[in-house]
Amino acid sequence: MTIRHRPVLRAVAAAAAGLVALAACGGPAPSGGGGDGTVSGEISLLTPIFEGADGAAVLEEQLAAFQAQYPGVTVKPDYTTYGKLNEKLTTSIASGQPYDVMLMGAGWIPPFAEKGVLADLGLEPAELGARYYERAVDAGVHEGKVYALPIMMDTRIGIYRKDLFAQAGITEPPKNFAELREYGKRLTQRAPDGTLQVAGLDVLGIDPRQAFLTMLWAAGGELFGPDGSPAFNSPAGVKALQTMADVIQVDRSEDVGWTTPNSPTGNVMAQGRAAMAVGHHHFWTQIQEEAPELIAEDKLGFFVITDERPAMFQGGTLATVSAQSKHPEAARALAEFLASEGPVLAANEQRGNIPSLKSLESSEFVQQNGAIQFAMQNFEHAHSEGGVPQWLEIRDKFKPAIESALLGQKSPQQALDDLAAEASAALAGR
Amino acid sequence: MAAPTAAPPATRAVAGAHRRSRPLGHERRRAAYLMLAPGMLHLAWWIGVPTVATFVLAFTRYDILAGTMAWAGLDNFVAIFRDPVWWTAVWNTVVYTFFTVPVAMAIAVVIAVLLNTNLRARAWYRTAVFMPHITATVAIALVWMWMFEPNIGLFNWVLSWFGVRGPAWTSDPAWAMTSVILMSVWKGIGLKMVIYLAALQGIPHDLYEAAEIDGAGPVRRFFAVTLPLLGPATFFVLVVSLIESFQVFEQFYVLTPEGGPAGSTTVMTYEIYKSAFQRFDMSVASAQSVVLFVFLLVLTIVGRRFTGRDDVA
Repeated sequence: MTIRHRPVLRAVAAAAAGLVALAACGGPAPSGGGGDGTVSGEISLLTPIFEGADGAAVLEEQLAAFQAQYPGVTVKPDYTTYGKLNEKLTTSIASGQPYDVMLMGAGWIPPFAEKGVLADLGLEPAELGARYYERAVDAGVHEGKVYALPIMMDTRIGIYRKDLFAQAGITEPPKNFAELREYGKRLTQRAPDGTLQVAGLDVLGIDPRQAFLTMLWAAGGELFGPDGSPAFNSPAGVKALQTMADVIQVDRSEDVGWTTPNSPTGNVMAQGRAAMAVGHHHFWTQIQEEAPELIAEDKLGFFVITDERPAMFQGGTLATVSAQSKHPEAARALAEFLASEGPVLAANEQRGNIPSLKSLESSEFVQQNGAIQFAMQNFEHAHSEGGVPQWLEIRDKFKPAIESALLGQKSPQQALDDLAAEASAALAGR
Repeated sequence: MAAPTAAPPATRAVAGAHRRSRPLGHERRRAAYLMLAPGMLHLAWWIGVPTVATFVLAFTRYDILAGTMAWAGLDNFVAIFRDPVWWTAVWNTVVYTFFTVPVAMAIAVVIAVLLNTNLRARAWYRTAVFMPHITATVAIALVWMWMFEPNIGLFNWVLSWFGVRGPAWTSDPAWAMTSVILMSVWKGIGLKMVIYLAALQGIPHDLYEAAEIDGAGPVRRFFAVTLPLLGPATFFVLVVSLIESFQVFEQFYVLTPEGGPAGSTTVMTYEIYKSAFQRFDMSVASAQSVVLFVFLLVLTIVGRRFTGRDDVA
C-alpha cells in the first residue's frame, strides 16, 4: 500500500527529520497573499553560491535591483554551501515549506524534476539556446522540459606551472596518461630525506569524484550506459583510476595529505607546491589572490586532460522554482532575474566561474581570466555528471571508493566493481 | 434520635487532616501539573513525537521528494545490516568509544586527584581543564584541524624537532581515527574531572588518616581508599561517556569530512546524517536511528545494572 497524503507524510517526516537532524535548519515560511497572478508576495531563496560576507553583499546588491524592478516582491535569502545544500532542501521539503527559488547544481535537476519538486518553466530549450551556452541549457532540461535557468558553469581541467615545466625541460602539456605520469615524475621534487617539496602531479586538490570522472571521460569511458546502468567500472574506468592510484603509489608524484579540496592552507600551485594538477578553473581566481605575479608573468598554463580523447568535467549552478511555490510568478521572476546579465556576471565574478550567458563572453571579467577563456574554447570536450534520477544517492558513494583505490586498500577494478554494485542497488530502488 | 457516635481520637485526627489537606493537595497537584506542563509538552513535542515518527518511518519506504510512503516491514533493517559501510560505521564507533572513554576517564581521575590537593592556583587549573567541555566542539575541531595540518601544523612541526616526519593526520586512513580520538580525549576530560572531583570531596578524610596510621603510602591509599570509593562516580561517568561517544558527530564531521579518507572514520551518527540529508532516504536513516537507540538503551540498562540504582552521582 502506498500513501500519497502529503500533509500527513510531511508531519511524520518533519518529526523524524527533527530527531535525526544534527545540523539542519528549515527555510522560511512563504507568506500569505499573492497567488492571484500578480508578481507580488514574500518569497524565499536558497543559495549555495554567494558564500561568506562578500558573497552575501553581492547578492544583497542584486536583490535590491530586483526589488526595484518588482516592488511588490520581498525576497528572503537563505545562504548555504553545496556541502549543506541537501540538508536545507530535505528539511524544507519535509516541513512542507520548500523554498520558492532554489539554486542548485546540474546533478540535482533530474532527481528533483523526476519527483515533482521543481516547476516546469514552460520554456523551449532551443529558445534558451539563443542566449545561453548549449551545455548550460542542457543541465536544466529533463525529459525535454526546462526546469532550470543556468547561472554559471564550472570545469575541471589540467593546470600547470610553465616555469616549473621549463625547469624540468618539458615544453608542452601531456597528451595522454602515459605522458601525464611521466611528466609528474619528472616534476616531483623531494628533499634528501624524502620529504615532498613539489608534487609533480596533484590529483588530490579537487573532489576525488570530479577528478576521477575527468580521467574516466578522457580514457573514453562513460558514467552510465545507454540503458542507465553503471558503466564507470569499464576498462576505461579502471585505467583512469589505475593512473590516479599509480601517481601516488608507484610514481610518488604526490603524497597523501599533501593537499585537500579547498585546503585551508591555500592553493598548492600558487605556493609552488605542485607543478601540475587536475584542477578547477577557479584556481585562476585563487592564484590571482594568493600569487598575482604568477598570472602577471604568464606562468600558468592549461590543458584538457587527454588520453583516448580530450575531456573536461563540467558542472554548473542553475536557478529553479519550486512546484509548490505560493507565489509562482514572483518566484519565476526572481529565477529569471538571477539568470540575467547583471546577476550572472556578479555571481561569476565573485566565484570565479564561467557565465552561462553568451553575451558576457566579451565582458572584462571573462576577457581577463585565462582559465575561463581556455575552458570556453574547449566546451566541445565537456561532459557532465548525473543523468539518472538516483544520482544524488549514488554520487556520495564515489569518494570512499575512489580513495580506497588511491590509498591502495582496494584494486581500482575492485573499488569500481563494488561501487557499481552499490549504484545498481540504488538504481533498482534500494 | 440517636446521638452521633463520637469517633475515636485517631480517626478524628485523620479526618481532620484529610479535610485540611484535600483542598491544599488538589491545589498543589494542579500547581505541579501546571508547572510540569511546559516541560512535558516540550518533551512530548520535541522528543516523543519525533521518536514515534522515527519508529514508524523505519518500517516504511518513504520518498521525501515524491511524498509517497509504503509499508516496508523489515526491509530497511535488512538493507542496513547488509551494508558493509554501516558495519564499518558500527565498528568505528566501537573503536572510538573503546579508546576515548577509558583513556579520558583514567586521565580525568589523575587530574581530579591532583586538583583535589592544596595546589597553588588550583581554581585556575580546574577552569583550564574544564574549559574544553564548555567550548563549542566545532570551534575546537577547527583549531585541531590546523594543528593536524601535515605541512604547517603544530604536531608535525614539533615532531620535526626530533627528526620525525609526521603523518598526514586526518588524510591518512591509518591516522585519521587516531586524530579524532586525540581531540576527543582532550575535550572529554573536563566534565569527567569535575564529576570525579565532586566524588573525591565526598570521601571522608578520616579514612585516609586511618590508612595512613596503618602504614599505607600515597599509592596504596589511592588504590585502597580513593579508587574503591570512586566506584559509583566511575560507573556514572562510564555510562554517560559511553552514551555520549555513541552519539559523537561534530568532531568527525569537521576533522574528517565525508566519512574520512576512504570512509575510515565514518561513524553511526554520520551514516544516519548521510542517509537522511545526502541521500534523502529518511526510512533508512530512521532504521539506523532505531539501531543506535537500541545500542544506547542496552548500554543504559547495563550501566544501571552495574550501578544498582538510577542516579548514582
